[in-house]
Amino acid sequence: MMMQEEATIYNLIPVEEEKKVKPPRYTSKFRDNVKDEYTSDRHDHKTMGYAKVPVDTTDNFLKKRSKEPILPDKLKYTYPDEERKRPPVPKKDDKPLMGLKTTKNFITTNAVQNITSVPRQPQKIFVDTKKGDKHPLDPSGLEPVYTKKKDFGETPKYLTKRKEEMQRAQEEYNAYVAEHFRRGAMRSLTAEEREAILRGLKQNWEEIHDQYQGLSVVTDTAPKKNRKERMEAEMKQLERDIEAIEKHKVIYIAN
Amino acid sequence: MAETDAPIDVPRLELETVIGFNGVVPNGLRVHPGKQHIIYPLGCTVVIENISTRKQDFLWGHTNNVSCLTVSPSGRFLASGQVTYMGFKADIIIWDFDAKALYARLVLHKVKIQDLAFSPNDLYLVSLGGQDDSSVVVWDVHSKEAICGHQAQVESAGTTYCLAYSNINDNVFVTGGDGTLRVWELNREDRKIRATDVTMGQLKRVVKCIQMADNFSEPFFFCGTTTGDIIGVNMNTKFFQFLGPEKEKFSLGVETLALIKSGQLLVGAGDGEVALVQFFNKVDKDSKNKKAKICFEKKRSWRDKKTKKQSAVTSIGLRGDGHQFYVGSANSQIYRFNFAEFNADPSPKLNPNQGAVLVKTCHSNDIKDIVFPFGCSELIATAQYQEIRIWDMKNKMELRRQVVPNMTCNSIAITRDGSMVISAWEDGKIRGYGISMSSPTLPERFVQTEAHSKGVTAIAVMTKTSKCNANDLEPGTYIVSGGGEGQVRIWKVEKFYDNKGKDSYKLNLLHTMMEHKGQVSDIKINSADNECVTSSTDGTCIIWDLVKQTRKQIVFSNTLFKAVCYGGYQDCQIITGGTDRKLGYWEVLEGKLIRDLEGAKSGSINAIDISRDGNFVVTGGDEKLLKLWSYNEGAVLFIGIGHSAPITKAKICPRGQTIISVGADGAILIWKYPDVGCQQLQY
Repeated sequence: MMMQEEATIYNLIPVEEEKKVKPPRYTSKFRDNVKDEYTSDRHDHKTMGYAKVPVDTTDNFLKKRSKEPILPDKLKYTYPDEERKRPPVPKKDDKPLMGLKTTKNFITTNAVQNITSVPRQPQKIFVDTKKGDKHPLDPSGLEPVYTKKKDFGETPKYLTKRKEEMQRAQEEYNAYVAEHFRRGAMRSLTAEEREAILRGLKQNWEEIHDQYQGLSVVTDTAPKKNRKERMEAEMKQLERDIEAIEKHKVIYIAN
Repeated sequence: MAETDAPIDVPRLELETVIGFNGVVPNGLRVHPGKQHIIYPLGCTVVIENISTRKQDFLWGHTNNVSCLTVSPSGRFLASGQVTYMGFKADIIIWDFDAKALYARLVLHKVKIQDLAFSPNDLYLVSLGGQDDSSVVVWDVHSKEAICGHQAQVESAGTTYCLAYSNINDNVFVTGGDGTLRVWELNREDRKIRATDVTMGQLKRVVKCIQMADNFSEPFFFCGTTTGDIIGVNMNTKFFQFLGPEKEKFSLGVETLALIKSGQLLVGAGDGEVALVQFFNKVDKDSKNKKAKICFEKKRSWRDKKTKKQSAVTSIGLRGDGHQFYVGSANSQIYRFNFAEFNADPSPKLNPNQGAVLVKTCHSNDIKDIVFPFGCSELIATAQYQEIRIWDMKNKMELRRQVVPNMTCNSIAITRDGSMVISAWEDGKIRGYGISMSSPTLPERFVQTEAHSKGVTAIAVMTKTSKCNANDLEPGTYIVSGGGEGQVRIWKVEKFYDNKGKDSYKLNLLHTMMEHKGQVSDIKINSADNECVTSSTDGTCIIWDLVKQTRKQIVFSNTLFKAVCYGGYQDCQIITGGTDRKLGYWEVLEGKLIRDLEGAKSGSINAIDISRDGNFVVTGGDEKLLKLWSYNEGAVLFIGIGHSAPITKAKICPRGQTIISVGADGAILIWKYPDVGCQQLQY
């Protein structure tokens, strides 16, 4: 009874029974092994014996070596770089072709080449530990590369070019619009005209409003009602027009 | 305003589920031959529901309530007929089941389509017009044209009520009604149908349903009558053969019949009985000619013991050959039966329900009010003629039902703590109900008789937990009620111990405020619990001070106000809706009209609700559209199309997940609350 007394509508909200989450089913870790090792036709004849198979005819007897596997023919082994290989260096006792012999003094030319050559610039490195771990300096960013660039701090050329193009396009467009206006394709309402229209509309509204305010309090007959409704509609229309003109500063008149 | 002018551009609300079924339509509940779907009418729509997934598809196309429904034997087509106003033509629509789309619209009958039947090979559709039309028309399904028509009965006979096609022959069908029972033969070449009246002898009956059984060795058909017996007629001779059951007739008439493969008949009776009838040969010893006579025997019988008032079984739909069958009743309940259990011995211990499971309950009358418990989206309480129901919104199931016979509950409210459901009734009583965990009904807490003289029409509840200042109301639960005569009364719920020492409740009238001249249609209390607004059909809305119990402000308009709602910052405005189709924003302090929007193109606005954050307003009315407005812009953001009758109430759920709207056809529509957060950014 006490329970019933305290029951509220919120007790009626169905409670979803929490489903017990079952642990995943046990699977043996040898499952895959067993699967691989098991062949399904292993015990086929265990209960029924072998199937009765028709015996081979007498001319189709078992022949020597017929059960051996047939192997493919042997192939000659070739190295994979066979085609790229250069011919071997000539032997000491090989005779040059047609007795041709060079007069170039390799020793002196090598010596001259080395003496005259520009020494190689050492690679720029930096060392960051006392143990002397070396790293190349160029990709490290420690050297001021970009600030030393010739055109550092200048506006990129493509930007100035683009700006010029834009300016030119704008000028062209302005010229076109001016041309268009000059031809009188679209006339814009001047400020005075706009003011005049607005003033006129407002005046009209005021006149109707004056009349409306002067209407009798009781609208008992159909003509009165009609008159009132007509005035309301007119005023609403005027309000809409005034709002439309006030909202837009520049008004174009299409022909 | 641009949106309201062109509602086509407005995005649609997504319909989640519909809870509704029109059980009054004879044989309205059907099971599709594919065994996966049930089909039933709801207002002017036809609903196809998947049995396992409960997914619903809606066939929209009728302009008025659906009056009959049939499925072709192959399951490819559905056909539905409607009612319409006197003098107008009523449509028959053939639907393509797989495409769930309109296949053909057949217009010839007037006012009402009484019944429809497909021929066994889907070649023809026969339609029977209502009382004012009384003609039979045969249509060619493939060419979508009428073949021929004929007067349904002879001049001297009464109305024809039902129609059934032969199970094997595409050219034979039967019609039956008040004093008429005819077998028709179709001649396709000559485009003619020829009727043969069944020879009934002295017997006079009103046939309400016909079941064919001509695929058996001896071709018969069975007719259920209003007198509660079943007539068997031989198809070959067209002679009346037998009548039964001799004793224990079905009270309130046989409403529907269904034949099972085994040759047994399932009978749905007007008093809610579902019976299994068997027939057998009996040799009467006393009679002179020892001829066998076919007799009926009621083998099994079932009634819903849980509902006190029985309502007619209007349809039985067999799933497959009848291993399972669905039963629809006039009070919009759907039961699923397992035939094996139904056929088994009905011992009260082992088999108390006889295989019946209540799968669907719906409102059968117009829903007057819905309410969410405070801050709870999982439950709603609804009010209709005779009933209050509490629904579980998650599973769309009914949890509790309280029946008060022959009275309409106009309005309903739930106290803040959820312990009491307070309802306003047509007989001028306010009834308060508690909640019981064990019983399916609601235990009564108090009844305030003569609360209002012309019925209580609106009610609202508030709970004060503490006094804000010295003049404030005492802590407790207060009820504000409005009546048909226009009075607004404030009551306090008081607890006392009766002479047996039990806790009891009563209402103590604090004040009566007599200002309204017409019926009070809606009451809303503001969030600070110190004032309330009442709308009335006399064209006024009054804002009352609940502490001083005086009128604060009044709002006039040339309309019948139907709904009112607080809105704006700290409830500084009210929104009203009424028969002038305008959505009015009014200032609470001065009572001035701030804004009026055209809320609907046609018909009154019956329901207004505002979202918890106050940014969105939902409205519904006689134009059957649910509209979601942004409060500040006054623009329609979303439109919900789906109601087939005027919307009576609409509510946004407190958590902002769903919108629930209810209609005069008893349907509860659950809409997904749209993702308006993003929508809002665009403005």
